[in-house]
Amino acid sequence: MRQLEFILRRLLTSLFVLLGVSIITFFIARVVPTDAASLYAGPKARPEELARIREKLGLDKPLPTQYAIYMGELLQGDLGNSISTKRPITQEISDRLPATLELLFAGMFIAMLIGVPLGVLSARWQGRPPDLFVRFISIVGVSMPAFFLGLILQIIFFRNLEWLPLIGRLDADMRFVSPVTEITRFIVLDSLLTRNWVALKNALLHLILPAFTLAAYPIGLIARMTRATMLEVLEQDYIRTARAYGIRDSVITYLYALKNAISPTLTVIGLTFAFALTGTFFVEIIFTWPGLGLFTTRSLLNLDYPAIMGMTLLGASGYVLINLIVDVVQSWVDPRVSLN
Amino acid sequence: MKRFTLFVSLLVALSLVLSACGGGAVPEAPVEPAEVTEAPATDAPVEEAPAAPSVLKIANTANITTWDPIASFSTEAAYMANVYEQLLRINPPGSAEQFTPLLAESWESNEDGTVWTFNLREGVTFHDGEPMNADAVIKSLDAARTSGGASFIWWMVESIEAVDDLTVQFNLNASAPIDLIASSLYGAWIVSPKALDTAAADENYWANGVEAGTGPYVIESYVPDQEIVFQKYENYWGGWEDDQFDTVLVQIIPEALTQQQLIESGSVDLVTSIPRENYGSFKDNPDYTYFEEPSFFNYVGFFNTTRAPLDNAKVRQALSYAIPYEDIIQIGVKGLGTQSRGPVPAGVWPWSPDVNQYTYDLDKAKELLAEAGYEGGGFSLRLTYAAENATHEAYAPLIKDAYAELGVDVTIEAIAFGTQWAEAKNDPANAQDMFLLLYWPTYSDAGSDNLWSMFYYTEKPFFNLSYWNNPEFNALVDEAIELTVSDPATSQAKYVEAMNLLVEEAAGLFFFDTKAVFIIPNSIEGFQYNLNYPFVQYFFYDLRPAK
Repeated sequence: MRQLEFILRRLLTSLFVLLGVSIITFFIARVVPTDAASLYAGPKARPEELARIREKLGLDKPLPTQYAIYMGELLQGDLGNSISTKRPITQEISDRLPATLELLFAGMFIAMLIGVPLGVLSARWQGRPPDLFVRFISIVGVSMPAFFLGLILQIIFFRNLEWLPLIGRLDADMRFVSPVTEITRFIVLDSLLTRNWVALKNALLHLILPAFTLAAYPIGLIARMTRATMLEVLEQDYIRTARAYGIRDSVITYLYALKNAISPTLTVIGLTFAFALTGTFFVEIIFTWPGLGLFTTRSLLNLDYPAIMGMTLLGASGYVLINLIVDVVQSWVDPRVSLN
Repeated sequence: MKRFTLFVSLLVALSLVLSACGGGAVPEAPVEPAEVTEAPATDAPVEEAPAAPSVLKIANTANITTWDPIASFSTEAAYMANVYEQLLRINPPGSAEQFTPLLAESWESNEDGTVWTFNLREGVTFHDGEPMNADAVIKSLDAARTSGGASFIWWMVESIEAVDDLTVQFNLNASAPIDLIASSLYGAWIVSPKALDTAAADENYWANGVEAGTGPYVIESYVPDQEIVFQKYENYWGGWEDDQFDTVLVQIIPEALTQQQLIESGSVDLVTSIPRENYGSFKDNPDYTYFEEPSFFNYVGFFNTTRAPLDNAKVRQALSYAIPYEDIIQIGVKGLGTQSRGPVPAGVWPWSPDVNQYTYDLDKAKELLAEAGYEGGGFSLRLTYAAENATHEAYAPLIKDAYAELGVDVTIEAIAFGTQWAEAKNDPANAQDMFLLLYWPTYSDAGSDNLWSMFYYTEKPFFNLSYWNNPEFNALVDEAIELTVSDPATSQAKYVEAMNLLVEEAAGLFFFDTKAVFIIPNSIEGFQYNLNYPFVQYFFYDLRPAK
């Protein structure tokens, strides 16, 4: 019950955060000295055409009125139309969100899969070669820029070894070979649901490089965080006591120590998750991954302000939501953390 | 407690899976993800099978800003041109005939070029089954000239009327080359009247790749930012041969390096963009043909002529002499360009070798600057260029260095093109001193476009971002435009006079005309470069697999 109350309160404050974000983005987007009408109509448009578009887009009205109109439409779930694609932003987002989420989930899955055990390994062998190795790996993971790592992986696994595809979510001719029926638009899930093994294999192969590139940073972070907290926990009396009882080392590490060490790591995982959402932007460009990142980059370059607004709001909502989830999960995993 | 045990054991399980994958896991994991091995072995060969031989796969950088054929005024032309047709298509320079008849079979104008008659092709149908006739042409072109993205190309058209079911007549209020205009890449597509009606009622009608043209291909599907699939239109009036492609699969790939990797690995048949620094490896490769051709594009710079010191022609001349043109071409486009003669790119009407150029001559520049009262320079200039354009980015510093030799300090600002452009148009008095621009004519007439658009004075500037106001130039351009059809020779002479005046007065800098490069694998035949359609890299209908 207290949990529910907490969540509701947090959601309510989140609304204010989002309102603030919307005001700031809206006005910043308009302060940029640009003419949205000429962006809409293209550089060679004549004055009459521009006037017509200004009226159509409501740009002839004062800024606060424009904001009020924008918010009014937003409350009805309408983010307006993109200037560069002329399609509704909500449609652009919903078309691309599954691709980004698929990549994000795969990346975070890999990050946890590799990062946590690496951290544990490192803590158990503190100061020994495995530890040095893990620490080296995590520094590389944290410090290597995604665009660089992505290109290197492409050169190795596509160009030299020819093991993995270069770009995209599926081979372009998969549509002729074994087309995927759209259900959820998560290709891996859809091909699994329709038992389309050829497409599933293809989609997974396409996921590996971008997901790993995306995971590199979180892997480093998670491994280091897990290592630090594990070291702290392994020093504690109850662990020594457990050892004295002759409990097996693996049980101590994974069952007793990791349990108490995992909580701060969870926070890190949550935050890197939100961070990875923007990290996907680089990765999507390198791997021509048809998600929100490609769209946002294009919108930024074209000063497509309705799209920029939409994406900023979406990103902010993502952060807020993930933070909330992290707090709730943390209190669930570690009762010492209270939800106040 | 139980929940937690579950959570931890999950993690343990995960780490076990990881170690099973080979510990370090970085290079190992990709080889055989656990799930993949479960795929039935019988399915595997299917994936290995090559796609049907009549599929053409292209990686193209061009994105779609709209599928509305009337509004279209951007890179989507690469696809529109395979789906829609104009009345005429203009051939590359040096062809035996200037035009290829498409939806018009023959055409003529009166002596002074103010009335034009086009006889339409019989038996042509739009992809939606509607017949192509005079009414359809009039409806399309009326829409194009009233609400189209490039509506201004038809500014002189008073009315278009049907003489009979297959004949249309253009009545103009000024002489103009309607044959050139009707072959424009923008604002000249003939569209099914039924689709136009539907689109008028539904703003988002075109949004998802709907089309209704007469061209050789139809759009089967479109996924934004990803791919477009074209199928051949069985009833195409031009007919089909066995070896033409049934299906064309276009992948939208913005990165040039990615495109290069795709073509080298054979994942696609054609690409549109390869990093310039890598051209060399294709030039020498016997598996590819390397085309280097003049293009529609040129790089120009505007001097803001509204205020001192750039309101002084001598200063502008000095600054024109101080430009190291050859270095700029080398650095800007790796030598793939030629120094411009005025704002008209080589190979496009009314370009002429008789237009003068500035040479790189620092002494002369210093001398002129001294004559103008600015000995040793002593002033500073703010230069802007579109941040999206890597060519500007490469050569702009050369201008700064060159002007530093004159004692002129240049501040370079890279800003988004839209911002740069809006700022320059809104308030000339406070705008930049120099504006770098990549320009190209809308259709194959750089007299009424490049010269008029960039340097003809109107109170609200269109593209005249030098704000230069020279009545003599304006008069010459007006006369030349008027004579384009009835007396091309005199028209060109007037244009040359106007351009020489412009170069003399140095309202702008004329850096270079770019060259277009195409790298075509020998497995594809039929490619022909057409300078007049710079945004259409490939006309799919012309292409065939090599025998």
